[in-house]
Amino acid sequence: MSIDIRNISKRFGNFVALDNINLDVASGELLALLGPSGCGKTTLLRIIAGLETADAGQILFHGEDTTAKHVSERQVGFVFQHYALFRHMTVFENVAFGLRVRPKETRPSETEIKRKVHELLELVQLDWLADRYPAQLSGGQRQRIALARALAVEPKVLLLDEPFGALDTKVRKELRRWLRRLHDEVHLTSIFVTHDQEEALEVADRVVVLNKGHIEQVGTPEEVYDTPASPFVYQFLGDVNLFHSRVHEGWAEVGKGRIPAPDAPDAPAIIYVRPHEIDLSRVASGDALHGEINHIRILGATIRLEVDVEGHDAVEVELSRERYSEGGWKVGETVFLTPRTVQVYSEPQ
Amino acid sequence: MAFKQNSVLPGFGLSLGYSIFYLSLIVLLPLAALITKTFDLDWAHFWSAVSEPRVVATYKVTFGASFLAALINLVTGLLIAWVLVRYSFPGKRLIDALVDLPFALPTAVAGIALATLYAPNGWIGQWFAAGTPIGNLFGPEGLPLAFQPIGIVIALTFVTLPFVVRTVQPVLADIEQELEEAASSLGASRWQIFRLVILPTLLPALLTGFSLAFARAIGEYGSVIFIAGNMPFKSEITPLMIISKLEQYDYAGATAIAVVMLLVSFVLLLAINGLQWWSARRLGRN
Repeated sequence: MSIDIRNISKRFGNFVALDNINLDVASGELLALLGPSGCGKTTLLRIIAGLETADAGQILFHGEDTTAKHVSERQVGFVFQHYALFRHMTVFENVAFGLRVRPKETRPSETEIKRKVHELLELVQLDWLADRYPAQLSGGQRQRIALARALAVEPKVLLLDEPFGALDTKVRKELRRWLRRLHDEVHLTSIFVTHDQEEALEVADRVVVLNKGHIEQVGTPEEVYDTPASPFVYQFLGDVNLFHSRVHEGWAEVGKGRIPAPDAPDAPAIIYVRPHEIDLSRVASGDALHGEINHIRILGATIRLEVDVEGHDAVEVELSRERYSEGGWKVGETVFLTPRTVQVYSEPQ
Repeated sequence: MAFKQNSVLPGFGLSLGYSIFYLSLIVLLPLAALITKTFDLDWAHFWSAVSEPRVVATYKVTFGASFLAALINLVTGLLIAWVLVRYSFPGKRLIDALVDLPFALPTAVAGIALATLYAPNGWIGQWFAAGTPIGNLFGPEGLPLAFQPIGIVIALTFVTLPFVVRTVQPVLADIEQELEEAASSLGASRWQIFRLVILPTLLPALLTGFSLAFARAIGEYGSVIFIAGNMPFKSEITPLMIISKLEQYDYAGATAIAVVMLLVSFVLLLAINGLQWWSARRLGRN
């Protein structure tokens, strides 16, 4: 089912949580709301669910206005960061809850409930835990049960609020792949909130980058990563080096070197370069930046070098393990840096 | 030692030893003295002292009224705790403080005040007296509140009010809002959320409050005797029986009744504690 979000605004006192948000979610897609904490992503999700009311604007489910509908009537499945499982109920009863609270006329029979719950527990691969209590499960298991519980009511939309936020890194990676596969199986329109760009890029069909109550960019993971619409998106989607400079006839000077800025107007500008998009060399070429290696950190598969660049602060350069050993870089060496791709944003005056 | 556990908190032996010594001194010793005193009686005298019809009638009144009072406070205590936790309104702190007043007031003062209020000519009692519109609903004699078993329930309800409120309040405040939101998103109505999600979570606290109120009510004397009317076989409580025996210098008889009260209370509290343990275990711990 498609969701239209129209002109949604929300304030908490003087704080503007959401400022006139417009967004269309296509039927069956998996959408990520990505942003730093306090950007309004959770508030937007809660407004879509009906757990929070917007000050202005409308939420349309499949073209139908649901703004005034109570959460219990919206047929949304909601998954919370801290699972929100009912502690006094077994896993089975947790999943069955949504079916049991239905009014008598629409409530399935006991055998039907049993069949359905076991089917869902198999879907989340935890059928063997049916008789346990939530306190006896690990975090990852709890979140899968919470998901099964949300799916039990056959929701039209699945909403997940930082679903992997309380889990450790390894489980988190496992679960997000699992969520992706699950989505490919069930094809339910899903929106999930995250502050982890890696998670959003890996799992989602489309990513919505939010900042301070505004949408900065909407696009596929490739789009937002390769062609960020704003400096914020560029910075938020991964590590970045910043050069403050002045563009003059298509070049921005940094120390003795310069960085190409072909289409930028002559004005002060901020130049963004990702650490892994910088080439290192011992030979000075015409435009390369001069620097001295100051620090080398080995982070598993990648090596991060900190280079003090003349006329600038330290710049981070990331090399793959092979390139690092080929180069044989040492601390204290003088090196020349050439950025492969740069993004130039004119600085607001 | 088998019980000893490695812990960052030192002094397990010392603190446990002191706790047991203290409890023995404060609780066990007087109770042991009480029980030894009953050995002044042989079994036949003991039995006749505790099974005298007038005494048996007081057991019924005491335990029945205490149970009723604890039950009433279970419901109203939950309601008061709910209002104090869930809503904010002017004067909330004042009402919160008011809850503890029955603890602070001398029970005799409470008893006299209640007797005055609920007597047939008192502020509240007059509305239930014979010939009044409300009183007529209950028959030609109206509904006498004071100097009746019902008066005992009123006094005990007053005295034991704080227990349920104070045990439920913190637990209710700790219930995550997310639980209710999750239930709501699954289609549960307000009432279903209360019955299926909130109430089971509160159950151990409710049981604790109930058992504390019940235990306190069984031993209550001061507030009850002024409002009870103390009619034999009708509105006499067991503590009154003990006092009247003492006044006749029948110390052994008094302690015999006390021992019976003690035993019954202990068994009841143990049962409630077991129930509470069972329900708390089901809730599990994170």
